Amino acid sequence: MTSSARRAREQARQRAAAAAKRQRQRRIVLLVVVISLVVLIGGGIAFQAWRTLRAPSAAPTTGSPSLTPVAVTEGKPIVLGTAEAPVKLSLYEDFHCPHCAEFEEEYGPVLSDAQDSGKAALEVYPMSFIDAGSAAAANAMACAAEAGFGSQYYQGLFANHTLQWNDDQLIELAKQITPVPGEAFETCVTSRGHAGWVDSINAAADAKGINSTPTMFLDGTRLDLASLTPEALQTKIEEAATTR
Amino acid sequence: MITETAPRSRLQSVVPRVSTVARLVLAAVFIAAGTLKAIDPSGSVAAVRAYELVPAGLETLIGWGLPFLEIGLGLLLALGLQTRAVAIASAVLLLTLIAAVVSVAARGLSIDCGCFGGGGPVPPSETNYASEIVRDLGLLLLAGWLIWQPRSRFSLDS
Repeated sequence: MTSSARRAREQARQRAAAAAKRQRQRRIVLLVVVISLVVLIGGGIAFQAWRTLRAPSAAPTTGSPSLTPVAVTEGKPIVLGTAEAPVKLSLYEDFHCPHCAEFEEEYGPVLSDAQDSGKAALEVYPMSFIDAGSAAAANAMACAAEAGFGSQYYQGLFANHTLQWNDDQLIELAKQITPVPGEAFETCVTSRGHAGWVDSINAAADAKGINSTPTMFLDGTRLDLASLTPEALQTKIEEAATTR
Repeated sequence: MITETAPRSRLQSVVPRVSTVARLVLAAVFIAAGTLKAIDPSGSVAAVRAYELVPAGLETLIGWGLPFLEIGLGLLLALGLQTRAVAIASAVLLLTLIAAVVSVAARGLSIDCGCFGGGGPVPPSETNYASEIVRDLGLLLLAGWLIWQPRSRFSLDS
């Protein structure tokens, strides 16, 4: 065999070895990629399960903690704040609607101030079109209003809007607000005591043609939330309160 | 030695650039779609439920897991890691989503696809099945291109 033929065979062998090594490396990379993807998805599912099923975090305690029971009437909203307030703010929200939670985070302080100062009353229409948790939360909201801690419960529901809102979570949220929410409240939550009212609110919102949440009216005039700012809302409330 | 005998044509320098663009566009769409859905776990499950295709337990798993699959595929595409394999997986996912929307349209349901968050039932006048399918077909085209030409500039594969 000539030396050049030997050299050629040696080169071919090296090339084949290099190709095999590259192939092995590619397979390892592919395996790592697949494992990372599986870990990411598994971790994501675990993360969402935690966000949905954990106990509610402490409800914010802004707003007056006076336990004033609020009447729950078929087709009529829950009124938070003094009913005699000069300005009426009507809010259509779903407790599972993420935009509503963002809205509450942004406008919550202005809305609380307006209630506390007696300038405005908040008429809450809790709609339930997203899922079963929306309806359970709307029912519990009515139970809480009746028990007298509606304002704080309302804020607590939105502060924990990623929760599934099973009965345990709804009762736990009440315990964060008042140590003893009472037997009546718990029964009202677990037996869906205000299921009829929840339906009547959805019907009332439908009748008014509300097809997106949040939707807000100030003394019957629909506000364009896309262009609204918390400062502008405060000004509007004050103007409306003084012209009364 | 095997040497590049063909002259380095214009086409050869254009193809990897096109692949880079395809890779990054697909990555951006997947990451955006996944993130917007992952923000709202209950909304995401409700969006899956609206398709009326899978049993309740699976609705939850898909609603929670699918957004992270999209984010994962998007990140891999952005990095350019295992581009062909990831493009194949993306194409399979897109075909599944297109089939789901077609099935919804065929059954006469009126929902929002929830492709970028949101979703759930909408009034019949507000369904956008045609544009949703066309958009997904466009994305499928990009994935197809990457299966054919996975080599691209600025990728970890190269």
